[in-house]
Amino acid sequence: MIRFERRTEANALWTAVSFAMAVAAGLAASAALIATTGADVLQVFAALLQGAAGSPKALATTLVKATPLILTGLATVIAFRAQIWSIGQEGQVLAGAMGGYLGAQLLAGLPPLLFFPGVLAFGMAAGMGLGWIAAVLRNRFAVNEIISTVMLNYLVVYLLSWLLQGGPWGETGGTISYQQSPMLPEEAFLPALFGSSRLHAGVLLPLLAAAICALVMSRTPLGYEIRGLGYNPEALRHKGVNIGRTVTVIMVASAALAALAGAIELFGVAHRLRADNLLGLGYAGIIVGMIGGLSPIGTVFAGLFFGGLASGAVYMRVLGDVPASLVPAMQGITLFFFLCAGVMARYRVVMKVAVQ
Amino acid sequence: MSQLFQEAIIVSLLASTIRIMTPLLFSSMGELITQRAGIWNMGVEGTMLTGAFAAYLVATATGSLWLAVLAAIVAGALMGIVIAFMTATLRVDHFIAGLGLNLLAGGLTLYWFQGYIQGRAQPTFSGFQDVAIPLLSDIPFVGPVLFSQRALTYLALIAVPAVWFLLYRSRYGLELRCLGENPKALDVKGLSVSARQYAAVMLGSAMTGLGGGFLMLGFSDRFLADFTAGRGWIVVVALIAGNWKPRGVLIAVTAFAFLESLATHLQVVGAQVPHQLLLALPYIASIGLLMGLRFRSGQPARLGVPYARE
Repeated sequence: MIRFERRTEANALWTAVSFAMAVAAGLAASAALIATTGADVLQVFAALLQGAAGSPKALATTLVKATPLILTGLATVIAFRAQIWSIGQEGQVLAGAMGGYLGAQLLAGLPPLLFFPGVLAFGMAAGMGLGWIAAVLRNRFAVNEIISTVMLNYLVVYLLSWLLQGGPWGETGGTISYQQSPMLPEEAFLPALFGSSRLHAGVLLPLLAAAICALVMSRTPLGYEIRGLGYNPEALRHKGVNIGRTVTVIMVASAALAALAGAIELFGVAHRLRADNLLGLGYAGIIVGMIGGLSPIGTVFAGLFFGGLASGAVYMRVLGDVPASLVPAMQGITLFFFLCAGVMARYRVVMKVAVQ
Repeated sequence: MSQLFQEAIIVSLLASTIRIMTPLLFSSMGELITQRAGIWNMGVEGTMLTGAFAAYLVATATGSLWLAVLAAIVAGALMGIVIAFMTATLRVDHFIAGLGLNLLAGGLTLYWFQGYIQGRAQPTFSGFQDVAIPLLSDIPFVGPVLFSQRALTYLALIAVPAVWFLLYRSRYGLELRCLGENPKALDVKGLSVSARQYAAVMLGSAMTGLGGGFLMLGFSDRFLADFTAGRGWIVVVALIAGNWKPRGVLIAVTAFAFLESLATHLQVVGAQVPHQLLLALPYIASIGLLMGLRFRSGQPARLGVPYARE
């Protein structure tokens, strides 16, 4: 009989081997997946690589695509490290874009140095409101945060749908509704980093956010409480930490990061409010954060990896054959193998004869 | 609004409540079996989605609806194996396992779907039709509501007492409930905990997959992204609201189905409410319901706690 025995101490080599095997298994499964559609596997991988890092433009696209993923990934890291299984990032991204759009109406005309921080703050505030609701539901009403955040996600999706179709923000072109807002004025586009490239200034924010997260997690009392909540909430309570307050702080901070992703997408990429470029960013962030080992630095790398895949997928579509949703499929598969690897790293596999 | 109270509308409202209940009943009874065995399976949404997709594939490829039902059941059971492997064998946190499964199912079904329809018009099928039960369906009011439904709807209504009997009146059910309350008791008797967990999750997930399959075959003629639209999560809420008891879950599912049916009928009679608000009703109700709940006495003691002998 095959059994798993828990290792008493971590073995760095074995951990590295486990995760290397997870990457290899993920790629192998992806290759099998590509083969099911009859496409040439090597050609597809080559196209992905070319589209992710083959040219300065490809690299810029990778960075732009990685930006929201890193932010929603960090949002996941903060919450999951405290064993708060919030999956509200999806709705908070939408809320961030909605809040940002509202801010752009109210703050129009301000100089850029005030306008951009202002509208991003509006977006983050909207997301934080959502995170706060989920925290209250958990603290005061003992509602499981997975369920409450999923329900809130759907509510936000419908709210956005109403705002854009039938509500005040929709763009009306004759009788058809496009389910999107009018374009923002050009002053409201996030400035490009280099001349006229599509690399907007917002790509710097995830790196800043990751550095702050890493510092907070390892060097501050809040970081200690976040980790403590994950390991042993009872011990934390006996130390006099107000658990409810800590949960609220964590969920609100996590929501702020996810909402920032939505606001940056609005002002840096889409330049108008619409759902389809935002949907899925929150769920992808869960995968990015978990594959990043729930560490801020790991999340940056995982976000860059999946940002590269997303950028490569745009390029790959030119080749035809392979559906664009290869990326979410690969994300799901890779996550699955990483979960297995996480267990393998902690256990040793032993063969035993069952003793009755 | 007053149109809502005409008899024809009320009959239609109740009949569609029963129809909407069908997939939720299959899936929630499946999830009840899974959770009573101690597995806090959050992968209902992904399992239903996979069942729906498998049903769509087989229905359009073979034209046989019953083969499609079988495919949904098999797909559900396969997802059950994945969940059981992660929770019973690897002992991954149950929430993480379920979330992972949902993301995996969402990505894979969309990928295969796009691959399946690539370069052609999306194939469709014609789903299940109503089967009127002779004599019973002629009873005024009750007949059209209860006895003129899809064939699988009758099966779903039978599934509730069947699951109750399985859980409370069979040896297998006793062992299954023991998995959720005190798995050690089984272990010290020399009965395999993990084999029973696998069996329970596979049976439960097969039913959950069937629910997704019916959602496809009974309501739609084609697949689309996020087809299940949160119904898997409604099932999880129904379980908590129903206090992990078959009758309670039945009541919760009925309430959700009634809300959804009410929302569609309000649209039909032209109520001056944004349709998005009506669509959001079940989710608002879920949050309200969970806020008001003060008892969880039926929650299995070891729900979500991976069992390890050490």
